[in-house]
Amino acid sequence: MRVLTLTGLAMAALFLGTGLGAPPAVVAQDAPNYCVSCHQALTVERLAAPVARYTQDVHAAKGFGCVACHGGDPTVAGFNGMDPAKGFLGKPEGQLLLQVCGRCHSDAGFMRRYNPALRVDQVAEYRSSVHGQRLTLYRDTLVATCTNCHPAHAIRPPSDPQSSVHPLNVARTCSVCHADSTHMAGYQIPTNQLERYEQSVHWAALSERGDQSAPTCNDCHGNHGAAPPGVDWVGNVCGQCHSVMADYFAASPHSAVFTRLGVPGCALCHGNHQVQAASDTLLGVGEGSVCSRCHVEGVGGGIVAAAMRARVDSLRAAYGFADSLLQRAERAGMEVSQARFDLSGAQTALVQAQAAIHAFELDSVAHHADEGLQVAAAAVERGHGALGELRFRRVGLTVSTGLILLLIIGVILKIRQIEA
Amino acid sequence: MGNDSPTPSTRRRFVNWLLGTSAGGLAAAVLYPVTRYLLPPEVTESATASVTLPFTVNDIPLNSGKIFKFGSLPGILVHTPQGEFRAFSATCTHLACIVQYRDDLSHIWCACHNGHFDLNGRNIIGPPPKPLEVFTVRVSGEQIIVSRGA
Repeated sequence: MRVLTLTGLAMAALFLGTGLGAPPAVVAQDAPNYCVSCHQALTVERLAAPVARYTQDVHAAKGFGCVACHGGDPTVAGFNGMDPAKGFLGKPEGQLLLQVCGRCHSDAGFMRRYNPALRVDQVAEYRSSVHGQRLTLYRDTLVATCTNCHPAHAIRPPSDPQSSVHPLNVARTCSVCHADSTHMAGYQIPTNQLERYEQSVHWAALSERGDQSAPTCNDCHGNHGAAPPGVDWVGNVCGQCHSVMADYFAASPHSAVFTRLGVPGCALCHGNHQVQAASDTLLGVGEGSVCSRCHVEGVGGGIVAAAMRARVDSLRAAYGFADSLLQRAERAGMEVSQARFDLSGAQTALVQAQAAIHAFELDSVAHHADEGLQVAAAAVERGHGALGELRFRRVGLTVSTGLILLLIIGVILKIRQIEA
Repeated sequence: MGNDSPTPSTRRRFVNWLLGTSAGGLAAAVLYPVTRYLLPPEVTESATASVTLPFTVNDIPLNSGKIFKFGSLPGILVHTPQGEFRAFSATCTHLACIVQYRDDLSHIWCACHNGHFDLNGRNIIGPPPKPLEVFTVRVSGEQIIVSRGA
């Protein structure tokens, strides 16, 4: 059987010093692969396991063999094949690992042959990340490099549900380091991000509702260029999805003030990893409101917050009342489909008013709330009309049924009288 | 044989019982639907399967959309730039706002949170988690008939 192995790899020994050579080529050959035959016979688990694991690796599926990353000559048995003169690298780590992976993954011409859609700036992005900065500037070997997120010998494409970087698995992958208090001890950052994220509305959307557009770690922090969002651009990150609110916020008086105070826009009110589904209780100056952390009831922003809350509450109550009224009429068999159709406009107005809260001015909220209140009022009127009509029909039926019964009784009595 | 035949009083009782129970059955047959009418079951109106739109093909220009009533819910009819008629539920799958057609983008768009759907109803940008429900459109002369399912 013809075995695809990689042999074009750096036989010219261009590895270290001047950097790695050109990307490897996949060449079909009949020669034996001593890397596999020797390593799978070893009794040391650390050295034997990669052979079995690698059969599931995406690189193996594309025909790349051990030498693509480790160098050496697979056609020569024993330590002679693992000669540095033949380009043998051993286990590449740290900056050498970036070179090994980047040799293919940073070469657009090479990657186009295997995955034309795949980006080729991962190494450049990585160097800009907190991980990459610490590795290159401080020689910090504890930081994540390629194989911490893409486990060596078992790399699968992100679309594979078993992949460590599938959206459902990203948080767990990051937490291997970030939830390990011993590992993170030197960095003085919390280690509860995963615990908090798994309580968030984003994780619920991703894991329970199967919404793979919901964000996980890399959607806010970047993946290869991972870094915490800066105070003045948190809004841009959240605005990738919540664009309407981000636009309102950017034009609001809060935007400049928050930047000046050095507080993160969205996260100040909504939190970061443990973002909860926003509810109206966040607004106003009552219990549970976030406005009251800075604003006092009855003064300036406190007045605006309370007024915005009152408008939203009014609309929600009016919508709820109209909806229940129409439901009662509908269940009783009345035709109210037009009224229910029209009431959809009040729901739209309510959602728009809630988004407009992020402008932090009453007029924006009132504009939508008043529109919704008008729609709800019309629906209430129709609901009352339908229920009034129902009452009228019931009374009419009762009266006519009574009259018919009386008539029947009268007929029976008359028949008896005639018979007697 | 003659000793076993029923007496006249037995026959009368049987006829009275038969007439009495028939009258009871008749009363039940009349009163039951009346009672059911007065106390209807707790169910909502059955889902509308098909509607003939209150406007014609001439009322909706190319590259435009129009909201219509599908039962008690809003639907949207799109006349695509290619001249096809397509209809979808107009209720956004995010927070149930009513979507609209954007002729500048040739997309269906939800103004509440800037969600976009393509002309197959697929959610392509923004927070909507699912596609819009697709309706079947049939054009008969100038009339447009929209129905749920094939």
